[in-house]
Amino acid sequence: MTAIISVRDLRKTFRVLVRRPGLGGSIANLFAPHYRSVQAVEGVSFSLQAGELVGYLGPNGAGKSTTIKVLTGLLVPTGGEVRVDGQVPWEKRERYVKGIGVVFGNRPTLWWDLPVIDSLELLQPMYDIPAERFRYNLVEFKRMLELDEFINTPVRSLSLGQRMRADLCAALLHEPKLLFLDEPTIGLDVVAKEQIRRFVLDINHRRGVTVLLTTHDLTDVERLCERVMILDHGKLLYDGTLAALNGRFESAWTLKVDFEEEYPDVSVAGLPAPQRVGRQALYLFNHRELNTAELVQQLMARFQVVDLEVRRPPLEETIRRIYAEQLLTK
Amino acid sequence: METMRLYLRVMKLSILQQVTYRTALLAGLATNFFFGLLRAAVLLALFQVQPVVNGMTQAEGLTFVAFSQALIAFLFIFGTYDVMNTVYTGSIGADLARPMDLFFYWMARDFGASLVNLVIRGVVLVAVFSVFYPVVMPATIGQWGVGLVSLLLGWGVNYAFRFLVNLTAFWTPDARGIGRAAYTMLMMFSGFLMPMRLYPDWFSRLVALTPFPSTFNTPMEIFMGLLKGPEVIPALITQVGWLVALWLLARVVLRRGLSKLVIQGG
Amino acid sequence: MLRNLGMYFRLVGCDLRSQMTFRLSFWIDLFSTMAVNASMFASLYLVLERFGNIGGWGLGELAFLYGLAETSFGLMDMIFSGFDYDYFSTLVREGRLDQILLRPVPPAVQVMGHRFVLRRVGRILQGAAVLILSFFLVDMFWTPLKVAFLPVVLASQVVAMGALFIAGSTLTIWTIQRVEAINILTYGGVELMSYPASIYPRALRAIFTYILPFFFLSYYPALFFLDKTDPLGLPVWPPFLAPMVAGGMLWLALRFWKFGLKHYQSTGS
Repeated sequence: MTAIISVRDLRKTFRVLVRRPGLGGSIANLFAPHYRSVQAVEGVSFSLQAGELVGYLGPNGAGKSTTIKVLTGLLVPTGGEVRVDGQVPWEKRERYVKGIGVVFGNRPTLWWDLPVIDSLELLQPMYDIPAERFRYNLVEFKRMLELDEFINTPVRSLSLGQRMRADLCAALLHEPKLLFLDEPTIGLDVVAKEQIRRFVLDINHRRGVTVLLTTHDLTDVERLCERVMILDHGKLLYDGTLAALNGRFESAWTLKVDFEEEYPDVSVAGLPAPQRVGRQALYLFNHRELNTAELVQQLMARFQVVDLEVRRPPLEETIRRIYAEQLLTK
Repeated sequence: METMRLYLRVMKLSILQQVTYRTALLAGLATNFFFGLLRAAVLLALFQVQPVVNGMTQAEGLTFVAFSQALIAFLFIFGTYDVMNTVYTGSIGADLARPMDLFFYWMARDFGASLVNLVIRGVVLVAVFSVFYPVVMPATIGQWGVGLVSLLLGWGVNYAFRFLVNLTAFWTPDARGIGRAAYTMLMMFSGFLMPMRLYPDWFSRLVALTPFPSTFNTPMEIFMGLLKGPEVIPALITQVGWLVALWLLARVVLRRGLSKLVIQGG
Repeated sequence: MLRNLGMYFRLVGCDLRSQMTFRLSFWIDLFSTMAVNASMFASLYLVLERFGNIGGWGLGELAFLYGLAETSFGLMDMIFSGFDYDYFSTLVREGRLDQILLRPVPPAVQVMGHRFVLRRVGRILQGAAVLILSFFLVDMFWTPLKVAFLPVVLASQVVAMGALFIAGSTLTIWTIQRVEAINILTYGGVELMSYPASIYPRALRAIFTYILPFFFLSYYPALFFLDKTDPLGLPVWPPFLAPMVAGGMLWLALRFWKFGLKHYQSTGS
């Protein structure tokens, strides 16, 4: 099987104007602008197989958006090779974009003053979508995304969640093989987020659309992606399954125990001393060295236990640790 | 005293903000100068027909052009829409929460920007213009002084008018269109397009009944000495009169508008 | 090409429909625009009551120049609204240009179709009224050539000023903010074309004849229409250069536009 996206040694350098402070500085900026190079992406390589749904993660300024912009033909890279579905995105852009769908979470893609339906109908001639396919897709997406309740409302009066649903529909009417989602759930409430996730999963499973998704919401990742790529400072730190990532980098699990009475010493050999509040104690343990059942058995054997609660650290914490402690830099 | 200091702070902030728009300042200067050249050509062609018209010489006509271009930004000739925008966006609520009178608050903001524009766009433009064309300057210190006083009064009348125009936003969602028409009147009747003296007498006499000449034409005539000696006094009194009248009117209109805002819960 | 034209009209149709939703403000805007522009002519008219002429051109002849320039600027401002650089710079700032680049239709077609500001009709009507008035004031001697050439001159002015709008918008790809100095060329251009070239100082005349050939779009054609002789004694063909000049300016502007989009793609927002 050949890759639908292949990126090799992608690099992108921006020139940024350095602003000097003060009135004198302003005048100097005007006549002798001073630039500084910023490496947004430094040698990123990866490939995606058709039908994959991949999460592309990283802190702000890591280079995620730059990568997406290169892949969608909006930016020409400084170096490296990019092939998407056999084409170079930024060459013959008008032809290339016919085969992809793009949604940027923080900006509207539809015509601001037009009712949603008018906006969607404009796309049919624009993308040369056969009328029959267009009708069929529109009916299906309207149902899945529940667009009917606001289909005659101008885009400017939609809520953020409604707009995102309309944008998703617009990005898929021409049946692209590939869908790029840049922060699709940003600023949405829980219900709207869930609806969007269900939709993305569905079009990935049933229509086989390949999806590359950037997000800050790790619930998105846990719900949607088997594979994740982590980017920081323009470099790819991790590319693999979510499960393997958790296995390697998850920090300590916690076990909260309520005892029958206040025992003088509740420490467990090989574990740091627990935090104690009255009859309650909180243990930190590494689940790869000591499994939960063993620990619980030990405690039950020694003490009268009333209540137990095991907590796995959320993915957020794992990822935060990866950035903060630079766990993945060689 | 305390509020005065507050207004000065607002003004200072506005000055600092204006200075950061440096490229806009330079570009504005270039644009104003270019239009000055075009308008000077028209005026020169007019004065070729008659060397002195209604007591105005060619040099005085050119000075008028130089100053009208130099003071475009100082007097916000193309109008301002800031206050009406705060009504539409609702941010006027935050402005009302401040311990300041809205009229003077915006006056301080506008005046800060005006001062920057007077120095950077105004003075520079007149200086450059005077390289190419004659520019008449006041002959005595007294004339300078009275001219400046009259210019400040003109600024005040102009500000009060603009503030009133902005207040129409309380009553209609189309205040921008109204503003455009109102500022056109201001532009034409203030003598900005052509000195009032060059219009037919019947027209300038009619316009003299409005506050508009007080904003620009009167200060220019005093500055160049076209009005002098005892003629200056009634001109200044007229300016002060309009300033006070428009200010009082603005207070009444503002109170009405605000009460409407409160009733509607806007 | 045909497909793009079809797309253009669809887009314009959509924009027009959305403008129809704001009825009252539309009329207020229309009349205020008319008032703004009419006052300029009124001012000229009133001053001429005292002076009689400007550089040997009487009211009717000036009205012809002015009416022509105003009509075509109004038309241009309506057709090229999307390239109004104040508006276009917001497309750049808000990242909406990205959205345009993501659609499989040439960006210039989309930008032009994006916005078609109907209320510019105010300026067009006012300009056309002055132009028609001028025919009577100068008692125009019509020939078939004049009748045929008038729309050509009008179209040439529209295209030439549209080219400036395109160039001005392209500049904002670099500057992000609107470039106020471009007003010199656009609004300055209309002002310049509203008066006879002979009143301007030599340097200005040279610049706007040979470098930015505005005078070929208004002054020289006006000499032909009004049967006036040029004080500088030019041959007979300059009045007819207007369409060539306009075509050349549009070609250059579109080259610059393409170059600007390339640059945009190499710098991001």
